[in-house]
Amino acid sequence: MKKAILRNIAIVSAIFIVTFSIMLITNYFQVRGTTPLQAEVVETLKELNDQQAGNPALQEQIRQLDLLARKAYFVRMDHLMTGVYILLGMLAVFIISARFYFAHEKEIPGKEIDPIDEWAIKTQARKYVVWAAVGLAAIALIMVVMTSPYLQKPPSGEENKETEMIVQAVDADEQAMPQEAVTEEAIPDAPTEEEEKEFITEDTTSQDIEAEAVEAPAVEAAPQPVVSKVTHHAFRGNQSNGISSAKGLPARWDLSNGTHIAWRQEVPRRGYNSPVISGNRVFFSGADEEARELYCYDLTTGEKLWTLTAANIPGSPAQMPQTTEDTGLAASTVATNGNQVCAIFATGDIICADMEGRQLWAKNLGVPDNHYGYASSLLIFGQTVIVQYDNRNTPKVMAFDLATGAERWSKSRTEKVTWSSPIIASVGNASQLVLMGNPAITGYNPQTGEQLWRVECLSGEVGSSACSANGIIFGASEYSKLVAINGADGSLLWESVEYLPEVSSPVATKDNLYLATSYGVVVSFDTQTGELRKEHELNTEFYSSPVIAEGKIYLFSNDGKMHIFAANDEFNLIDSFETGERTFATPAFTDGKIVVRTEKSIYCVSAN
Amino acid sequence: MKQKNEHKNSPIARRRFLRLFGSAVAGGSILAVTGGLIGKARGEEASLYWQIDPQKCTQCGRCETHCVLPISAVKCIHANKVCGYCDLCGGYYRSNVKELNTAAENLMCPTGAITRKYVEDPYFEYTINEDLCNGCGKCVKGCSSFGNGSLYLQIKRDLCTDCNECKIATVCASNAITRVPLSVAYKLKD
Amino acid sequence: MKNCRKIGLLSSLLMAVGMAFAQNRFPKPDFESGYQYPDMTYPIPDETLWTALDIFLLIALMSFVAWAVIRKRTRKPIIWVSIISVAYFGFFRSGCVCSIGSIQNVALALVDNSYVLPISVFLFFMLPVVFAFLFGRVFCAGVCPFGALQELVNLKNYRLPKAVTTALGMIPWIYLVFALLYAITRSSFIICRFDPFIGIFRLGGDIGLILFGVLLLITSVFIGRPFCRFLCPYGALLSLFSRVSIWKVEITQKPCINCELCHHACPVDAIRAPYDNKVKETRLEGVKRIMHYCIVLPLIIVAGAFLMQSFSGQLSRVHKEVKLYDMVMQHEADPQDILSVELEAFYGQGGTLEELTEAYNAVQADFRLYAAIAGALIGLVIGLTLISLSLKRTRTLYEIDHAACVACGKCFSYCPQNKI
Repeated sequence: MKKAILRNIAIVSAIFIVTFSIMLITNYFQVRGTTPLQAEVVETLKELNDQQAGNPALQEQIRQLDLLARKAYFVRMDHLMTGVYILLGMLAVFIISARFYFAHEKEIPGKEIDPIDEWAIKTQARKYVVWAAVGLAAIALIMVVMTSPYLQKPPSGEENKETEMIVQAVDADEQAMPQEAVTEEAIPDAPTEEEEKEFITEDTTSQDIEAEAVEAPAVEAAPQPVVSKVTHHAFRGNQSNGISSAKGLPARWDLSNGTHIAWRQEVPRRGYNSPVISGNRVFFSGADEEARELYCYDLTTGEKLWTLTAANIPGSPAQMPQTTEDTGLAASTVATNGNQVCAIFATGDIICADMEGRQLWAKNLGVPDNHYGYASSLLIFGQTVIVQYDNRNTPKVMAFDLATGAERWSKSRTEKVTWSSPIIASVGNASQLVLMGNPAITGYNPQTGEQLWRVECLSGEVGSSACSANGIIFGASEYSKLVAINGADGSLLWESVEYLPEVSSPVATKDNLYLATSYGVVVSFDTQTGELRKEHELNTEFYSSPVIAEGKIYLFSNDGKMHIFAANDEFNLIDSFETGERTFATPAFTDGKIVVRTEKSIYCVSAN
Repeated sequence: MKQKNEHKNSPIARRRFLRLFGSAVAGGSILAVTGGLIGKARGEEASLYWQIDPQKCTQCGRCETHCVLPISAVKCIHANKVCGYCDLCGGYYRSNVKELNTAAENLMCPTGAITRKYVEDPYFEYTINEDLCNGCGKCVKGCSSFGNGSLYLQIKRDLCTDCNECKIATVCASNAITRVPLSVAYKLKD
Repeated sequence: MKNCRKIGLLSSLLMAVGMAFAQNRFPKPDFESGYQYPDMTYPIPDETLWTALDIFLLIALMSFVAWAVIRKRTRKPIIWVSIISVAYFGFFRSGCVCSIGSIQNVALALVDNSYVLPISVFLFFMLPVVFAFLFGRVFCAGVCPFGALQELVNLKNYRLPKAVTTALGMIPWIYLVFALLYAITRSSFIICRFDPFIGIFRLGGDIGLILFGVLLLITSVFIGRPFCRFLCPYGALLSLFSRVSIWKVEITQKPCINCELCHHACPVDAIRAPYDNKVKETRLEGVKRIMHYCIVLPLIIVAGAFLMQSFSGQLSRVHKEVKLYDMVMQHEADPQDILSVELEAFYGQGGTLEELTEAYNAVQADFRLYAAIAGALIGLVIGLTLISLSLKRTRTLYEIDHAACVACGKCFSYCPQNKI
C-alpha cells in the first residue's frame, strides 16, 4: 500500500518535472529572444525619433513599447526563477519518493551461468584502447595536416593591398572609359553596380557636355581672370589662418528680403564644412548615409557646375561610421589650389578632382575611430594635400601628392582624437605646418613632415584650430588653456585660461588675438603679453570662426547673426544683424563677395 | 636465475613490496607538493576577487551578457565627487536628445536604472538603482565620451560568485578584469 | 628625511588623482544650497569566515565518512553527508572553489612563481589527496557535491560492459592532461569552463552545459556516477593515492563466501570477481606480450609527444594573446572598416605589434614545450593502460579495486557476512 503511494508520487512528480522543464526551457529561449530590453523595434523607433524630433505619436509609441518590453522582461525573469525553484522542489520530491520506493528492493541476482572470463574482457578492452588511441592519433594527424600553412590558400594580397585607385585623367573622352572599367574590376558583383554605372555614365555625359562648354573658358580663366584673384582656398582662408585679403565687401545683407544676396541654393546633402573659393568656383561637400559628394558651384550665377561622388573606393566602409548629429559625415572642409580640389569624409575616403570635376584619384585612409566623427579639414601646401588624421586607431599626419595621390610623407602622432584642422604659419621666411592636438601643439616642416617643435599644453577634446601672426602661434581649447608659442623655437610665450573657445578658432593680427567662446563671449588679447584687452558678452553661441578682412572681423553666431568688429586695439562692435538662417560654417571671402553655408543652404552675398 | 628467484618470492610478497613502495612514493609526492607550495600559498592578502579596472574598460557590453549569473554581477557605480552634475548628462540622455525630459525616447538606460534629483540650478544628482542595473555599460560609454567619467562599471562583491575562472574575464576585450586582493576589492574613482 | 618622503608620497598621490580625473571635462560644481555628497558604501562580504567553515566542513565530513566506511562499515552517514554536501557546497556555496578545479590553480602555482595561490584553494586541493592516501577516496564518497548529487539520484545500476568502461576510464586522464596544459600556459581553466553541474547548483548559466549536466544526472539514475568514472580528472588523481592508501576499505572483516552480491551492488564496478587463470598460454608467452608492450610504450610516448607538438599551434588558439595576435595580423593584412571590440581595445590602449608579437612568441614557445609533454603523458596513459590490461592475476575471492572504489559503502549491506 505504502509502496503504491510512493510509486504514484514518483510517477506524478516525474511527469510534472518533464513537462515543467520543457516549459522552462521554452521560456528561457523566449527571454533570450527579447534580450535585455533591447527590443530592436524600440531601438529603430528611437533612431527614427532622433531624425524627426517632435513627433508626439512616435514618442508615445516608443514609451508604450519600452514599458511593455521592460515589463515582459522582468516578468519573464521572475517566472524563470520561480519555475526553477518549483522544479527543484519537485525534483527533491521525486528523488525522495523514488529512493524510498527502491529502498528495500535489493536485487538478488541469480548466479551467473558463465563465470566472468576476465582475460577475454581484458583482451577486448585492449582492442578498444588500441582503437581509441589509433582514432585519436588519426584525428590529430588529420587536423595537423588540414591546418598546416602549406595547404591554406595564399592570401590574394594583390587585390587587398591595392587600396589606392588612381585614375589618370587626360581628357574628357578618355576619362569615361577607365573609370567605368575600374568600377567593374573593383566590385564585380556589388548589388548597386547597375545604379552606380548609370550614375557614372550620367555624370560623365553631363561632364562631357560641361567639358565642351566650359573647357575653352576654363583654360583661359587662369591667364585672363574674369573674376577676382583673391582666393579662399581652405577652411578659414588660404593658409587656414582666418585672414583674407578680400576688398569691397558687402556691409549688410538679409536672406529674408534678398538684400545683397546674389544667389541662394539648397544644399544637396548636409555637412558642417565651410565653402572655399577659387576663381569663379565655389567648392564644398555634403554627405549622408546614401552618398558622399563634392560640389562645385559657379560663384557668379550660383549654378551647380558638377558633383563628384566618392564611390567605389577600395576599403571604403559599407556601413557609415557612427557620428553625432552636430558633426556628421562631412565636417571637414575641402581644399583646393586652383588646379585640384580634394575632399575628405568621416568614412576616411579622400577624393581629388580637377577643376572640371574629373576624379584624379581616390583612396580610403582607414575608417577613423572618432566618437563624434572625423572633422579635421584638408589643407594644400605646394603640390601636396595635408591630412591631419588624429583618430583612435593610428593618429598621424600625412601628405599626398595632388596629382597621383601617392603618399609623400607620413608621421605618426601620439595625440588623442582631435577635431581641429591644420594651418600653415609663416615663421621667419619659412612655412610651418601647425597641428593642434591633445596633449600637444606641434610644428612640422610641411615639405618633409619633420617635426620642428612640440609643446604639450592641451587636454580634453580639442576642436579649435590654431592661428598665427608675426611668427607667433596661438592655440586654445575649452577646459584647457590658451597659449602663445614662439614658432621659431617652440618656446611658450604666455598662457591664459580666462576665455577659451570650444569649436570656433581664434584669429590674430600683429597686435591682437581675437577669439569667440561657445557661450557667447568674444574677447581680445594682447599678442605680446597675453593680457585680456576687451570682452563682448553677446548672449549667443559661436561655432563659426572669425575671419579678418578689410580690417574687420566677421563672425557668425549659431543663430545666424553676423557680428562685425573692428580689428584694432579698440575692438568695437561695428554692426550686428540677422541674416536669416542658422549658420555654423565659416564663410568664404573674395573681392566684393562672401559665400556662406548655413544649415540648409549655400548663398553668396555680393556688394553690387 | 633471476626468474627463479622471483618465482620463489611469492607474488604476494612482491605485491606487498610494490604497495609499500607505492605508499612511499605517494606520501613523498604529497610532502613534496606541499613543500613546494607552502611558500606560495597566501592567506588573506591573496588576489582572490575579480574586479574591473575602469581605466581599461571599453564598455563593450559583454559584462551584461557573459556573466554566469542570470543578471550580471557587474553594475554601474557612480562617483558623485567626479560627477559634473550636468543637466545634459551623457549617461542619462541618449546622444542627439532634443528635449531634456524623462520620456523613454530620451533616456539612455534600457532598464531605467538611473534616476536624477534636482539639487540647485543647474545641477542634478544622479543615482543608480542597482536592482534594475544590468551592467550593459551604455551609460558608462556615454559618460566617458561626453562627461567626466563618473559612471563606471564594477563587479559587486555581494553578488559575484567568484568563479575560479571568471567568464567575463575570459571574454573581456581589454583585459580589464583581473583578480585583486580584498583590500582593493573595489577600484573606486572617488 | 621623513618630510621628504611625505612630499614624495603626496606628489605621487596627486599624480594618481590626476590620472583618475583625466576625463574631467566639467568642473566640480560649487553648490550654494549646502548640498552634501551622498555617502556611498559598497559591501565587501567577509569571506574569511565562510572559507574557514568550508575547510572545517571539508575535514569534518571526510573524517566522518572515513569513520563510517573504515570503522563502522555502514552507508547511512554517507547519505547524510551527501545531502549536506549538495546543500552546502553545492547550492549554498554555488560549487566554487571545488577540489576538481583547484588542480589547475595548484598546477599554475607550481610552474608560475607570480601566481598567488590562496591558502583555501591549496587546502581544497591537498586535503582530499591526504585523506585518499590515508583512507581511500572518502572525498568522492559524498563530500564532493558532484559525486554526492549523482549518488543521491542513483536508483538502479545497469552495468556497462567492463571492456567499454575500461577504455572510457582513460578519458579522465586525458582530460587531466589537457586541463594541466591549458592551466600552466595560462590559457584557460577548462575544468571550470566546462563544468556540467555548476549551472545546476547556481540555477543558471550556460544552457548547453546545464543540459549536459542534466543528461549526466539522468544517466546516473541508471548507471552509477558517470561523471566520476568517465570524466572527473580529480578522481583520476585521487585513484593514484587510494590505490596505495594506508587504511583500506574492506567489504567485510569476515571471510568472503564468494556470494557475488557485492559485485552486483557496486555502482562503479570496482569489485573484482575471482579469477582462475585458464588461458592456454605458457608463462613465456605472457612475459613476451608484456615485454612487447614495454618496448612499444616509449614509441607511443614519442608519437604522442610528436603529434601534440605539431598540433601546438592549433592548441594555443585558446590563449587570449594568440587570439588577439591572429585578429591583429588579419586586420593588418586586410584592414577592415569595422573593428572588433578586441582590436578597438588593443589599438585604443596603444598596444604595439612588437609587444604583442613578443607575447605571442612566448606563448607559442610555452605551448610547443608543454604540448609535447602533454602528448607524452597521453601516450604514457595509453601505454600503461595496455600493459595493465595484459597482466594476468589469479584471484580466489572478491576483491575491491581500490583505485576505482569511491567508498560509497553500498556493498556493506549486501554482504551476508556483515549481517551475522
